[in-house]
Amino acid sequence: MADAQAKRYAGGGHYEGGPPAKRQATGPDPDDMDFIEDDPSGPPEPLEDVELGEAGRNWVRPPVADFDAASTAIVFQQLEVDYYLAEPRPGVDAVPAEVKQVPVLRLFGVNAAGNSVCALVHGFEPYFLIERRPHWGADHIQALGLALNSELAGKAKGVGGPAVTRIEPAERRSIWNFQPPGTSTAFLKIVVSVPNLVAPARGLLENGLSLSAVSDYVKCTTYESNVLFTLRFMVDCKVVGGNWVELPAGAYQLETARQMTHCQIEAHVRYDKLISHPADGEYSSVAPLRIMSIDIECCGRKGCFPEAKIDPVIQIASMVSVSGKMDGPVVKNIMTLGSCASIVGAEVMSFNDEAEMLLRWRDLLIESDPDIIIGYNILNFDLPYLYERADALKIGKKFQVWGRVRGSHTRMRDGQFSSKAYGTHEYKDITIEGRVQFDLLTAIQRDHKLSSYSLNSVSAHFLGEQKEDVHHSAIADLQAGNEETRRRLAVYCLKDAYLPQRLLDKLMYTYNYIEMARVTGVPLSYLLTRGQSIKVFSQLLRKAAAKGFVIPNIKVQGPAAGGDGVGYEGATVLDPKIGFYDRPVATLDFASLYPSIMMAHNLCYTTLLTKELLSIVPPEDREQSPSGDWFVRGSRQRGLLPEILEELLAARKRAKNDLKAEKDPFKRAVLDGRQLALKVSANSVYGFTGATVGKMPCLAISASTTSYGREMIMKTRQLVQEHYTRANGYETDCEVIYGDTDSVMVNFKVPDVARAMELGREAAAVVSKAFPPPVKLEFEKVYYPYLLMNKKRYAGLLWTRPETHDKMDSKGIETVRRDNCLLVRNVVTTCLERILIGKDVQGAVAYVKGVIADLLMNKIDLSLLVISKGLTQDADEYEGKIAHVELAKKMRKRDPATAPAVGDRVPYVIIKAAKGAKAWEKAEDPIYALEHSLPIDVQHYLEHHLSQPLLRIFEPVLKNPKELLCGDHTRCIAVSTPSTASGGIMRFAKVTMSCLACKAPLPSGCKDSLCGHCKPQEAEIYSRTLGTVSELEAQYGALWTACQRCQGSLHMDVLCTSRDCPIFYRRKKVQKDLNEAMGQLDRFEATSW
Amino acid sequence: MDIERPVPGQASRYDELLAPSTSKGDEASFNRASSSYTNHDARFRSSKRTYDRQYAQLYFSRLMLLKGVMRKRVEQLWPGVPVCSILEVQEGKEVAVIGTIYKNMKLKPSILDEYTKDRGLKAALGAANFCADDDSVVMEDDGARMVLSVAAPGTMAAAAAQQPGWAAGDGPLAVQELVTGLVMAVRGVHEPGGDFYVSAVAFAGLAPNPHPLPHPLPPLPASGTAADAAAALAEARPGDKYLALVSGLGLGGSRADMLATQLAADWLTGNLGSPAEQQLAAQVVRLVVAGGGIGTLEGLAGAAATAPGANPYNRAAQAVALQPVRDLDLLLAELAAGLPVDVMPGPEDPANVALPQQPMHRCLLPGAACHGSLVRATNPHEFEAEGVRLLGSSGQNVDDVAKYCGLRDRLDVMQRTLACRHLAPTAPDTLTCYPFTDADPFILDSTPHVYFVGNQPEFATRLVVLQPSCAGSGAAGSNSMAAGAGAGAGAGAGAGAGAAGGSSSGAGGGEGQVVVRLVAVPSFARSGTLVLLNLRTLACHPVRFDGSLGLGADGGAGV
Repeated sequence: MADAQAKRYAGGGHYEGGPPAKRQATGPDPDDMDFIEDDPSGPPEPLEDVELGEAGRNWVRPPVADFDAASTAIVFQQLEVDYYLAEPRPGVDAVPAEVKQVPVLRLFGVNAAGNSVCALVHGFEPYFLIERRPHWGADHIQALGLALNSELAGKAKGVGGPAVTRIEPAERRSIWNFQPPGTSTAFLKIVVSVPNLVAPARGLLENGLSLSAVSDYVKCTTYESNVLFTLRFMVDCKVVGGNWVELPAGAYQLETARQMTHCQIEAHVRYDKLISHPADGEYSSVAPLRIMSIDIECCGRKGCFPEAKIDPVIQIASMVSVSGKMDGPVVKNIMTLGSCASIVGAEVMSFNDEAEMLLRWRDLLIESDPDIIIGYNILNFDLPYLYERADALKIGKKFQVWGRVRGSHTRMRDGQFSSKAYGTHEYKDITIEGRVQFDLLTAIQRDHKLSSYSLNSVSAHFLGEQKEDVHHSAIADLQAGNEETRRRLAVYCLKDAYLPQRLLDKLMYTYNYIEMARVTGVPLSYLLTRGQSIKVFSQLLRKAAAKGFVIPNIKVQGPAAGGDGVGYEGATVLDPKIGFYDRPVATLDFASLYPSIMMAHNLCYTTLLTKELLSIVPPEDREQSPSGDWFVRGSRQRGLLPEILEELLAARKRAKNDLKAEKDPFKRAVLDGRQLALKVSANSVYGFTGATVGKMPCLAISASTTSYGREMIMKTRQLVQEHYTRANGYETDCEVIYGDTDSVMVNFKVPDVARAMELGREAAAVVSKAFPPPVKLEFEKVYYPYLLMNKKRYAGLLWTRPETHDKMDSKGIETVRRDNCLLVRNVVTTCLERILIGKDVQGAVAYVKGVIADLLMNKIDLSLLVISKGLTQDADEYEGKIAHVELAKKMRKRDPATAPAVGDRVPYVIIKAAKGAKAWEKAEDPIYALEHSLPIDVQHYLEHHLSQPLLRIFEPVLKNPKELLCGDHTRCIAVSTPSTASGGIMRFAKVTMSCLACKAPLPSGCKDSLCGHCKPQEAEIYSRTLGTVSELEAQYGALWTACQRCQGSLHMDVLCTSRDCPIFYRRKKVQKDLNEAMGQLDRFEATSW
Repeated sequence: MDIERPVPGQASRYDELLAPSTSKGDEASFNRASSSYTNHDARFRSSKRTYDRQYAQLYFSRLMLLKGVMRKRVEQLWPGVPVCSILEVQEGKEVAVIGTIYKNMKLKPSILDEYTKDRGLKAALGAANFCADDDSVVMEDDGARMVLSVAAPGTMAAAAAQQPGWAAGDGPLAVQELVTGLVMAVRGVHEPGGDFYVSAVAFAGLAPNPHPLPHPLPPLPASGTAADAAAALAEARPGDKYLALVSGLGLGGSRADMLATQLAADWLTGNLGSPAEQQLAAQVVRLVVAGGGIGTLEGLAGAAATAPGANPYNRAAQAVALQPVRDLDLLLAELAAGLPVDVMPGPEDPANVALPQQPMHRCLLPGAACHGSLVRATNPHEFEAEGVRLLGSSGQNVDDVAKYCGLRDRLDVMQRTLACRHLAPTAPDTLTCYPFTDADPFILDSTPHVYFVGNQPEFATRLVVLQPSCAGSGAAGSNSMAAGAGAGAGAGAGAGAGAAGGSSSGAGGGEGQVVVRLVAVPSFARSGTLVLLNLRTLACHPVRFDGSLGLGADGGAGV
């Protein structure tokens, strides 16, 4: 829907001198977001407060206890930092009288008592640096100031006072390349009055500026000119995302008269008075944050996905809970358009007017004052919809005030997120001042590889329960009904608001993300809206600042930096020795391979030796990486990246130790979140140097890292195979059977798991000695038995203790890939279980044959055969014929209401079609296929889906794996009676009764079930039919009651149409099959006398 | 068969049992007694079954049909407590609510478990019982659902129970004794921001008998199955008529005991035993086979499946599977030639699985079906013999309830289902049943005189006699009802019922009195036992046949 607009904004040329037009089409660079210009928040509009209605139950926060500003410090956990431009405040802003605008930072957060706090931080000035040429004297500097001011005068209107307030000398060193002793460390710090002047000033200096006063010309690299103002402040004041800050007693002014925000406590403070507490000890805790989860329902028209301009919002569910409180949400509110019967435990508010409802919800939002707004797909649906709907109702001004700043209008624009790690997607960027938006969908998409990201399948996966899914076309009917049907919808809506809350708790997102923000130092909101590299950048900035380094603003692009496409060699994979190993195979892993390489070999920007400087550094102080680049050794100068990594890994070790000692589950969650965050961060440092279109790409570092890695794997193989030989007194000659990136698999050829573990540990120690610290080869696990199928494809039972195996582990096998039908995944998993756990190859063979027989007899549950593919753009825009796209078109012709829309996944099955039909012609909607008895093309499934994975698995264990696919079990085939819907000749066929056993046509008018020939076998044939009926009846009962339980009601019909639910198709199929089988059974009744 | 040389010392018994009559000429001849018989299976029979509907309708009908009864019951038990729907419940006000119970059980198996990875745990737990300590119950009426909590002492709801004038109801909320699908009433208070705190619950209570028994019941001893059996013999009179109940023959199954089965058949048809025993056999007016004619086919099906490369869809394999059905036909034909037989389908029998199970098709029993004396009954099966109304099932309903509630004693479960006026409350939730739309045939409008359940682990019986309820007269009346209905007080119920029966010995057949004999019929394949029910006294006793010759067969001894 937003595609067209989004594309216009995408790649909107954030670079001066813009990239060529062709590249625009492919979207902006990864982490382009980080270059977004500084925009101050909160327009300097006159404060216009909203009138709030009466608060509902538990809406408001706990009241603020009285305190004395002179003697009490304000300590709070900040969650969100932004800034705005304000008139200077006497007493805290020491600026000349003519200055009309100064940047003021706002820190929003919560104190330990659960009160919301806003600290207004004054006096922090934006700046950037340039190198000072040796010949520049004071007059030069003055001339530079004048030139900049005259050029920037136009942009600095309204600020009052000069754009560049001062230029002061500074002692710094560039981070780029090893700087030999004696390199100039003279820098100039250019301080500007407001943050948005940094970018134009940078532009002037980078593009060239003539200093007429001294008749000179400056064109130079700027340093740290691309650091966002808020990040600049956080780095300089050592504030990290989500940490606790303190406004010391007496150092702040409490704002009481004209509060700018809705926060309960608001205070002004100078930036140098602010105390930032590192996240240790008591400050490692998390304040009682208010988390609001929302979900809306809209009433779409038939056949269309709801559109905000036309379709009303009919229900809004809001749940507010407090982090750390386990006893459920404090506010459970549902607002409905039209009357709604009451719901036990929830606050129901009904409205007749939509605008009234929206405004009441605004009151709920402001009064309950959440710190974090969560939901499922709220960023792309719920919030934008509410926003646009208010515009459509012409109450935008009144409604769109969701932030904490009084009277400040919430803004929305289209954004695009693009990153190597997470892919590209478009989103709506909504600025809600002071509140963090956390979309569970985005987070889960980032952190977990799942076959489907619908709320239903996500909650089935993580919470172990299915969720009722009401199709948007059914919502209109429920809304149009009575207060009971609307109540039904309300319960559904409440559940949808509650599930994100439970997911958040279950996945411990609050803790993990706060920990991640603290470790990497970026604000919480960056974690979801930006890529990995901003985190590394933030750490690098902090480290550099501490060491007196500055980071140049480099635009490395194209071949100079390796450019797009010009990559470097990645990790190595040792050729696998394919086979089935019934001996324990030990796996030796390099712990944190890339970080430890960077540490061991001192790889950093600051240690990279250019060719010219080689001679300056004595050979013993430098080292050449296998890729040919030179770095100085740590003994000469320790690099920044290795230091960052050391700290991260040391912190992780500490967290892991604390985790072991900690008993309190709540604190354990925090510590676990922390150690995970640290691990991810350490690994992203390497990626940062290799991101060719990132902030600071340096392929010398990343290529060296991987080259060391490759070398190490090869060396490890060599060492192990040389050491563990009969010649050295070991039982057998060992063999390295496989190796990938950071691990090698060794077959010591001993029968005993315990012995293999012993050898593995020993080998790890032996090999570790051959590498410089901290590189460490660790023995982690033994696979026994182990099935190695190919590169990156293996499965085995994983042992970490000699007594019993931990689990079955498989890589790269059809057990997880989403584009396979469930049947393949199930069969593969079960086969592996039988072979590996049961050690029963014959059992696995029998199982496979059974499944194939079932498949040919059409006894396989249809949901197992459903394949689904996403519809990423409108069906008409696709080029070429693709199965699911063609099906989407077909379905739109049948019923536009239920046809898949862009972004939906299209489920389909392959049906039998005329001979020679193209694959895309055979795809059919599973429901349609069911309802019209279209026969499934089981041969297609057998040949195209099952055979390859099965052959791969059985190849190492069977002499002739092909026997699986042919033989006796393939000789009973059910051919379902084609209906007229399947087309072809059937359209002309006339239906007559036939014998149930031999299909011989019965004379017309004969009501018998069998022909005379088959009559003696009646009991047998009857009991066969009966068997089918019984089986189906049992399934019918189990399926429909499972759905009743899931929907949470006994007395109401199941409405759910969740196609993600594994039993959805089965439910439908069993109903149809049962009625058919009953019909057959009834024919026997007719003949009884 | 090694009957030529019996174990020394037991020779005489063998002679008596198995030897042909020694006296010639003066052979006693016994004429089999007959009885009146009316079949009442109609409500369980359905002609055209379609599966277009969901189960919500069934629950809805059940609630609507029982609501009136429940409302009267609440008015009687808890006078002055307003009855309201869940949506009308106000915080802090004591009310009574009528609704359907849904029990949340984390161990309850679900078809969705097939799709989860961790299947081992549930399988290891087996099918014995799915109760867990943290099971909870919710009540649902036609409008909404609410969570029920037991009122803690000191809360408002519990305090209400202490008020003067409070008449003890059916007891406090005992989560473990409830199952999904029960319709009942709760009394309690909805505490602000919380659950509904229940101070007492009430069930519908026993429905009245359809008509008084033709004969007044003799006084019976206090309790105990053995004592009942002994008393049954003591009370027996020469002219009494008996009904034989058997279940779980398990033909073709791994446990089937063909010799014991044949002995039982021979005895029933009068081909076995001493004249005294033949006399008794002649008094048996009808045999009811309460399901389980066929045993689990594991043996056969399993053998076929494990054969390498075997295709289960092979025709030959399917023909083999039919053998036990042919055996059953032979056996029933033999029996039906001797006496009237009602055969009900059971869990493994060749009939549909959804309750109510339809009669086995006559093409399956070609031999037996020729006899007019064979009644192919439904399961459940209801009929009247000698003026006594009997209702029975093949056991699925009771077995299923036992899996999902904490009641261990099968008689308690049976009594509870009668007190709830519903034969199979767990259908459809965990017990497959047909999705009825505007009826629920399992609802009991009247209490049968005899309620028997087949395929139970062991023989057990109990007589429940409920005195006319002194409607609205306060504590005394409702106390005796509570004891009689046994609801909420599982363990004590049996004794209370027995005592009530004893004290009422003179008043048998009085107006308003409810009498019901509960019989758990054991599986024959396990126990070799059939049950004789005296249609005059409603007393019953087991008759055991033992196929293991070494220990001697005491078949027909009637002990």
